[in-house]
Amino acid sequence: MSAVDARLPEGFADLERFVPEWVCPDAVARMAQRQSSTIEALREFYDTMLPRGEAALACLREHQLGELAPPVENLLRLMLMLAEVAPAVEWYGDPRVYDGFPIERIRYLRQISDTDAQPLAGEAA
Amino acid sequence: MNEMAKPPVPDLGLTQRYPDIGTGPVDTAIYHEPAVYAKELEAILRPSWYMIGRVEQILRAGDFFTCELPTFGYELLICRDRQGNVNGFHNVCTHRGNVAEHRREGHSAGLFTCRFHGWSFDLEGNLKRIRDEEGFFGCDKKKMGLRRIATGVWQGFIFVCPAEEPAQSLEEWLGEQGADTADYPWGQCTQSYQWECEIACNWKLVNDSPAEVYHIPVLHPNSAAPTMMASGNPMGRLLDVRIRGNHRTNSHYSVAGEPKPVQKLAYFHAAAAQNVAGAARDYPPGINPTRSPFWTVDLIMFFPTLSFTLSAGMYTAHQVWPLGPNRSLYRQRVFVQPARTAAERFGQENTMVEFRDVVMEDFSTLERIQRALDSGQIREFHYHDHELALRHQHHVVTKTLAAYDREQAAA
Repeated sequence: MSAVDARLPEGFADLERFVPEWVCPDAVARMAQRQSSTIEALREFYDTMLPRGEAALACLREHQLGELAPPVENLLRLMLMLAEVAPAVEWYGDPRVYDGFPIERIRYLRQISDTDAQPLAGEAA
Repeated sequence: MNEMAKPPVPDLGLTQRYPDIGTGPVDTAIYHEPAVYAKELEAILRPSWYMIGRVEQILRAGDFFTCELPTFGYELLICRDRQGNVNGFHNVCTHRGNVAEHRREGHSAGLFTCRFHGWSFDLEGNLKRIRDEEGFFGCDKKKMGLRRIATGVWQGFIFVCPAEEPAQSLEEWLGEQGADTADYPWGQCTQSYQWECEIACNWKLVNDSPAEVYHIPVLHPNSAAPTMMASGNPMGRLLDVRIRGNHRTNSHYSVAGEPKPVQKLAYFHAAAAQNVAGAARDYPPGINPTRSPFWTVDLIMFFPTLSFTLSAGMYTAHQVWPLGPNRSLYRQRVFVQPARTAAERFGQENTMVEFRDVVMEDFSTLERIQRALDSGQIREFHYHDHELALRHQHHVVTKTLAAYDREQAAA
């Protein structure tokens, strides 16, 4: 694959198989993806992503929000998916919160963009 | 730091500091009886102040947002005028009652125009234009502006009071607890998630849910409990409960536990907010009021329906909108500091997801408790010493309703 159509930054070819299935546009889509996946699928994603987490964050630290190239954006969204998947694997061993309130009853009113620059206090949005 | 390795577990004895509140079992009638709810609406809910947003949502003159007060069925329009004032109106066109502004948020060049017949109101709520005015029979435009709702700002939060004539100003309602928490860097957390859900339970049960941590080792065994267990606090004791009039603050005791693998990535490689002390030394006196090195989080409750879970670097506003004796709307808005890099964005997501899932664990109990209340299967609650916040809420509600009854009888 040439650099032009690489879907992830250089060095992360091993994670390409999760693109685009595990790249979701926002937190609501990530929540739905977790709830509709089997725990086996979540574990496979988690087990592959976790050992690559430090390297992925080292790469993401070099990139400012608001200026992300598509491959970096994809890598970020894979990591955001890892955040969504983590409690399913680490806490519950199940996509759902154990004995929890039905998560499909919550409605998001406001989300933080995955990729936009975030103003400091007093800065215009 | 050896003293940090084995912190002293908090002791019993919180309740006895407030002898008026008592120690006996409490009657659960206030959690389900329709007649009690009807009284609460007038005696407790209508006179209170409600946080509906942040000033950052309307920075420039003409910026506005609209919102509901679900408990009261009110639609509101909040805007900034050219003098810089934050104005709150009932979003009701004075012609036929449609909303004067139908959008959720935006910017107005100076007029809000009703999409029904085109009547227009300015940023001060004045009725500026009646379309085809000559066809009406002497409308006095001066008397037909948008109706104001009492509006105030505290620490960048916009509050309204649904009462016609508020008995207390916003500052009076916030009281000492407001004064003592004012200098927290509320405005630094510019980013927020918000979600809501309807819950078939009484509003006070939603307040109760985070108001004690006695449940943490049992209800949150794998999520929230490990940190608490690491601190040698298997019974879920609080550091402190500080009662300030109708309001109260719970201070939570903990030490940093061994994080789970993805938490490790978030904390050590992505600058995620951690619920640990340290950064909190210069906080105002109402936050970590005991100045404990083992402080992690305060739950700052502004009775009746607003509370903040607040730690170093982030906070969450919990808001309950009562909809009936056994129905509530819960809204949670998590405020975090802005991320600069894509790595920091991962830290925010970790915080949001974990907190949401822990709240799902908490809320599992609410509708079950309500069924037990509605069916008469639990008529008394017995509160632990460290469930003092729940006992205090019961005390405040009971006391306020009794005073209301006396006023009604005298009237």
